[in-house]
Amino acid sequence: MVFHMQPYGIQGLLKEGHKHLSGLDEAVLKNIDACKQLTLITRTSLGPNGMNKMIINHLDKLFVTNDAATIVNELEVQHPAAKILVLAGKAQQEEIGDGANLTISFAGEILQNAEELIRMGLHPSEIISGYTKAINKTIELLEELVEEGSENMDVRSKVEVVSRMKAAVSSKRFGEEDILCPLIADACIQVCPKNPANFNVDNVRIVKLVGGGLHNCSVVRGMILKNDAIGSIKKVEKAKIVVFTGGVDTSATETKGTVLIQNAEQLEKYAKTEEAKVEELIKAVADSGAKVVVSGAAVGEMALHFCERYKLMVLKISSKFELRRFCRTTGAVALLKLCPPNPDNLGYADSVSVEEIGGARVTIVKNDEAGNSVTTVVLRGSTDSILDDLERAVDDGVNTYKAMCRDSRILPGAAATEIELARKLKEFSFKETGLDQYAIAKFAESFEMVPKILADNAGLNAMEIISSLYAEHASGNTKVGIDIEEGVCKDVSNLNIWDLYVTKFFALKYATDAACTVLRVDQIIMSKPAGGPKRDQPAGMDED
Amino acid sequence: MAAMMQPQIILLKEGTDTAQGKAQVVSNINACTAVADSVRSTLGPRGMDKLIHDDKGNTTISNDGATIMKLLDIVHPAAKILVDIAKSQDSEVGDGTTTVVLLAGEFLKEAKPFIEDGVHSQNLIRSYRTASNLAINKIRDLSVSIEGKSLEEKKTLLAKCAETTLSSKLIGGEKEFFALMVVDAVLAIGDGDRLNLIGIKKVPGGTMRDSFLVNGVAFKKTFSYAGFEQQPKSFVKPKILLLNIELELKSEKENAEIRLSDPSQYQSIVDAEWNIIYDKLDKCVQSGAKIVLSRLAIGDLATQYFADRDIFCAGRVTEEDLQRVAAATGGTVQTSVNNVIDEVLGYCELFEEKQVGNERFNIFSGCPAGQTATIVLRGGADQFIDEAERSLHDAIMIVRRAVKNSTVVAGGGAIDMEISRYLRQHARTIAGKSQLFINSYAKALEVIPRQLCDNAGFDATDVLNKLRQKHASGEGANYGVDINTGGIADSFANFVWEPSVVKINAINAATEAACLILSVDETVKNPKSESAQGEAAASAMAGRGRGLPRGGRGMRRR
Repeated sequence: MVFHMQPYGIQGLLKEGHKHLSGLDEAVLKNIDACKQLTLITRTSLGPNGMNKMIINHLDKLFVTNDAATIVNELEVQHPAAKILVLAGKAQQEEIGDGANLTISFAGEILQNAEELIRMGLHPSEIISGYTKAINKTIELLEELVEEGSENMDVRSKVEVVSRMKAAVSSKRFGEEDILCPLIADACIQVCPKNPANFNVDNVRIVKLVGGGLHNCSVVRGMILKNDAIGSIKKVEKAKIVVFTGGVDTSATETKGTVLIQNAEQLEKYAKTEEAKVEELIKAVADSGAKVVVSGAAVGEMALHFCERYKLMVLKISSKFELRRFCRTTGAVALLKLCPPNPDNLGYADSVSVEEIGGARVTIVKNDEAGNSVTTVVLRGSTDSILDDLERAVDDGVNTYKAMCRDSRILPGAAATEIELARKLKEFSFKETGLDQYAIAKFAESFEMVPKILADNAGLNAMEIISSLYAEHASGNTKVGIDIEEGVCKDVSNLNIWDLYVTKFFALKYATDAACTVLRVDQIIMSKPAGGPKRDQPAGMDED
Repeated sequence: MAAMMQPQIILLKEGTDTAQGKAQVVSNINACTAVADSVRSTLGPRGMDKLIHDDKGNTTISNDGATIMKLLDIVHPAAKILVDIAKSQDSEVGDGTTTVVLLAGEFLKEAKPFIEDGVHSQNLIRSYRTASNLAINKIRDLSVSIEGKSLEEKKTLLAKCAETTLSSKLIGGEKEFFALMVVDAVLAIGDGDRLNLIGIKKVPGGTMRDSFLVNGVAFKKTFSYAGFEQQPKSFVKPKILLLNIELELKSEKENAEIRLSDPSQYQSIVDAEWNIIYDKLDKCVQSGAKIVLSRLAIGDLATQYFADRDIFCAGRVTEEDLQRVAAATGGTVQTSVNNVIDEVLGYCELFEEKQVGNERFNIFSGCPAGQTATIVLRGGADQFIDEAERSLHDAIMIVRRAVKNSTVVAGGGAIDMEISRYLRQHARTIAGKSQLFINSYAKALEVIPRQLCDNAGFDATDVLNKLRQKHASGEGANYGVDINTGGIADSFANFVWEPSVVKINAINAATEAACLILSVDETVKNPKSESAQGEAAASAMAGRGRGLPRGGRGMRRR
């Protein structure tokens, strides 16, 4: 067209190529739609019967998981509004380490309900204020629902830990929680410091070894290094350990230097003195009482020769982090260069041995005495993807332990809390005057999503379950939830299914915050992508 | 313009491929069954081999499930899981790789109709897990311990296990011969569970029967210099010095330089270099060793020097062989010739150089520390020896597991039939859907005897019915397929034995894999970052700039 219409309004304001979307239809509803799409992916993974997703990321790595945090992380979500949900999920993952799926799914659900309200004619700001009121009320209600007496717990009691951890682990590997939970609990309790609030998740290590099965999993006090010892000495008991971060080798100059030899005598001596020097150093190490030498870098052949001669076991740990953990496990102080160690700098381990597990040779550093601060969970499984998934389950369990160290309050699980919240909030909404009432009612309704998905994923009739749950709760049995195995409603305190209060608290809070942020947007302005190498070549039609 | 302005939802990156729902589960199952089908025909003593020709032009002939799966180069994400379990079975037990793939494929195949009928996969998974636990416990019940027998007795028992494994391989014709060899080799390495202490050397030529076991170490003659032939080639009770240094005239250190102001000193420097090497050689001789081995080169000067003193030497011995010699003879590898004490010298009963085919071998036998064994394999074609090596590796692993765990079960499909019967019986006591699922699991287990028959050309239905009848009668728990007659026979009495750990691990891994595949209801494939261009060209969204979508497209969903 020759007479191009003059751009007007905001179009005239911005550079050509900008996109600008505004208004309810174009911005708000579309944003909601995008978030809905995202939750469609994650919600089928909620709960113990959730399905796995197979994700192949851009590096061609295969993930098989139902951990929402991993899913959204690998999905490469592009839509800006959906990204907000992803960020909420990540925040939850970082804060608690579990419950990311609840965050995303719940945010999606309340957004979906917001859509209905918008269609009814409510303004987003009214919905936001209603949702804010609702979440504040929810938090109040949540505190009321806390199981009595649960705020005091002994974080060193395995039974109590397992009961609190079970729900989190079973949502990842259902049917295996009875094996996994005690393992995780053992590992966590072993490294729990005097002040449980200082519990560091990094102290529970995970080693994945392909082969065997779940019942071969175990917990080792100490560390497992996934490599062999260098020398021929493969087992040492009650050993003092010396750690060198630099290599165990003859020291070489950084600057290029040449040894100048003047006469024959010097030439003959040259090799001998170097050898003598190494021997002297290694002898000094051996004399200090150390039986194991750990090197952070290469071990020279000459040095190795003398280590063998003085019966020193030689290990190489090239990762800096691993070396640091090793020092923590054994209580050794890392020495920068090869020099005779001070007795104070020596570490100690009950046994250091090389063993074969499932075809792989690993070095096991055991330390049963008190004072050790690292334990390792050995995971066995038949494929890498199963192992990765087990690892995430263990991670969740450990994170839950950390959360319960800070706040041990618990809530009834298996959707009992959600139904109770839905019921109470609904009552609350009736007492509100004004348009907030509708938003609060919808917010309350959103809680039904949890039992609905749990039932759906378990192949049960969701409507039936929800109505019978409501009936039970209305008659005062506030702890009734879904028993997935049998497909009926039961009192969860008998089933021993508990969720941590903090997990739920943050999940709901983050979800509402994210949803309100999405709702607040009424305009989207996308600038033209900057130039640069064109990635997507124009090509013909879409294949699908 | 209005259409262009329509807002759009692009959730994921362009080129992202997503698939969800029941169809996804079914398509994953189909992919896995296809993979299982490709190894199906290799099972059992009458299994056929596969010839795999890879893109580099290498030809491999094998009937080892793990080898085939590795070479198949599978890209389907779900089918890859089968490759993983085959590998894991290989590393954990060493044999039964075909079994594990076949079982996983069959479990999935049995699950498919249920999924298509709308059963939730979680229900299936739960039942499968229960079934696998029951099956494993049953195997434990049925297994027979070979502990507490005398060494001789144990040896024959272990040989039976090795024979069962070998019978399904290319070298099955000579299974008794190789079984004994394998058992001897494994017992030789004793408790030191380092697999690399058993060496397998391949020499083309001769027949399989010419293969032999060296109770010690054997390796091919290394590159040698003049003077080597003058060295004695046989010693009785020699001492052995193992080195990790070059015995050659060479510059002592890279970073040293000699500056001379007086030309007359030149000769003294040359002399000094000679002195250094002579000094080293002299120390080797002083140590009392009769055999000097080095990982690095032993030059002609040294060769001659040793020849003059009736010492045998070999340079450039591979690291592995040197380690094996060290382990066998009780010596330690030295990086310096200074201060060689007696303690670090190795010792063996007999050293000799022997002609094998057209290769010469250095053989150390009668080693005090034991702990090593070397099998020298002979045979026609290269591929044949390669396959024989793989087969022996399997057999060695099996025997090692049997030594460690020392319980065996009846092979020939007997244990599978028995578990199948047991599970069917158990299923009848369950109310609800899981009865069907456990039944189908039990049915899937029958694939082993069925495939054994199919591969041998028997009427599978007929044999299976006979087996079912026998097992149902309550006293035929050990009855399996008789591969020789096409009927059924007591596998246990016929010494068709497998270590129970093989079966346990196979069932465990197959079930885990099947459950994993069943539990996936969505696949999301992100575009590859490196090959973004190719990807984009293939499934282009048309070049409308990235991430800035215009034409009102929804999520790409199939």
